[in-house]
Amino acid sequence: MTLLSDTRYIFIRYLTKLVRTPILLFFSLFQPLLFLLLFTQLLNRLSSFPGVLPNGVSYLEFAAAGILMQNAFGSALQSGNSIVADIDSGFLQKMLVTPVSRPAILLGRLSSDAFRVVIQTAIILGLAYALGAHVTTGVVGILLIFFTLAFFGLAWSGISLALGMKTRSSETVFAIGGVITFPLLFLSPALFPISFLPSWVQTVSMFNPVSYAVKASRVLMINGYDWGTILPAWGVIGLVALITMSATLYQFRKVVS
Amino acid sequence: MSDIITVKDLVLVYGDGTKAVDNISFNVAEGEFFGFLGPNGAGKSTTIKVLTTLLRKTSGEMTVAGYDIAKDAAAIRKIIGVQSQETTVDGDLTGRENITLQGHFHQMKTDEIKKRVNELLSLVGLEEAAEKRARNFSGGMKKRLDLATALIHKPKILFLDEPTTGLDPQSRAAIWAYLEELNKEEDITIFLTTQYLEEADKLCKRLSIIDSGKIVASGSPIELKHEIGADSIRISLEDCKKDSAKAKEIIKTMTDVTEIMDSEECLTVYAKNAGLLIADIVRALDSSDIRLASVTFSSPSLDDVFMKHTGKRIRAEELVKAPSRMFGGRR
Repeated sequence: MTLLSDTRYIFIRYLTKLVRTPILLFFSLFQPLLFLLLFTQLLNRLSSFPGVLPNGVSYLEFAAAGILMQNAFGSALQSGNSIVADIDSGFLQKMLVTPVSRPAILLGRLSSDAFRVVIQTAIILGLAYALGAHVTTGVVGILLIFFTLAFFGLAWSGISLALGMKTRSSETVFAIGGVITFPLLFLSPALFPISFLPSWVQTVSMFNPVSYAVKASRVLMINGYDWGTILPAWGVIGLVALITMSATLYQFRKVVS
Repeated sequence: MSDIITVKDLVLVYGDGTKAVDNISFNVAEGEFFGFLGPNGAGKSTTIKVLTTLLRKTSGEMTVAGYDIAKDAAAIRKIIGVQSQETTVDGDLTGRENITLQGHFHQMKTDEIKKRVNELLSLVGLEEAAEKRARNFSGGMKKRLDLATALIHKPKILFLDEPTTGLDPQSRAAIWAYLEELNKEEDITIFLTTQYLEEADKLCKRLSIIDSGKIVASGSPIELKHEIGADSIRISLEDCKKDSAKAKEIIKTMTDVTEIMDSEECLTVYAKNAGLLIADIVRALDSSDIRLASVTFSSPSLDDVFMKHTGKRIRAEELVKAPSRMFGGRR
């Protein structure tokens, strides 16, 4: 199958590039790590107020899911830049004059994005573990967290890829990405318990896809296999992915033809 | 020889209404080294993009290796190699990885790729740098690597869009040598665009001069320059003051001489087929005891051809002097 083997070679190319520019990894990990190591310490005392956090849960354990989400955002937003770089340098054209499978160009990029989110998620979970935050559901739960975040990361890569191909400007991708990311995080229970938030934010958060994804990772960390939370979250992420991937595909067809 | 590229009445209008290519027709024979010479913005890159399946024509008929571009783009991509104007190597990958990746894009077998990569690294003289990341290559090395990546699958036709623009003379000469070798040894048809007169003159067996989306003249470099008419021979004498009048008298009687003028060197003779006349001039002056310091022959350049058809000179990024050859010297 040329589609599969072409996807593999493009996947390997992007991973090689990533490994050889560690500064990019550092930058996308920097913010989540700052939150994990510093922000959680600042708010550590939240757990001593009764009724704010679930019983026996530290703020670190609570916020870990939100930080993982922030991390997925960060690396997804770099995806668009990579496609802008390939268009600018002419590398995309260089691929297009070969018989390489067209869908493989996108699939290779997306699979490397997903892989990267998983690796970064593992690093953050490992550090959180060292700081005392455990995943109650164990290995299978961790795999499900990986899946949830990689899936979410893909849905979000779709936004930056579509924007990148539409605007051909990394600055725009970063600017719009930054503008979207933080409000979505703060308008969700990513970093604060929902009961803690003003009621208008609670209302808004119900329409915020980030809320669902955060809740799914959080129940896997803290509560257990709460499928009533996990499955709807996957449904919401799937819906977002459907929209962003359609936009990406639409822009990609314009670039390719 | 049959035609491997045929283009008939090609028109390409961009989305914003710019007519980049305005009704051009030409053919390239199999094994030929064919060129498009023209200034920036003449439509050279656009034509290459259409021929390499990257851009869709507005109208016209084109075939590459017998395949219709509109219908068989996939078949064409298998047999063409393309080097675009921008150098497109991946700086994060090594030289070897860059070429290997292109081999995978062409669905070649791994063993086959390995062997071919070694051949190509030696062809473009990058064996020693093969394991270094391309980011650290010089401009000339990147161009050579780019060329190698375009050759991995032994293409039947190689499209080169300004392959030496921005290179220093040495790197340029190196690229020229590889291209001539490829054309001769591997029998690859080469379609090249350039804004350098010297490059078109040296490499192309046949070329079209293109300006503002139109072909203004076609032929071999020699044919094109012959249209201009007179060549010039610049003669300098050891004692110009004493001998110039006598030299003029002698040269004037020769056939084909159109004009003799006093010039910086001493004398400039305009003539048809001046190359053939040089021996006669040298012999005649010698037997009349006129001592020559040097004789320089220059034929009309492609720039003169461009000038004749468009009323402008080609402005390349840097000035390239009209080709001139030295004959004789001190006697």
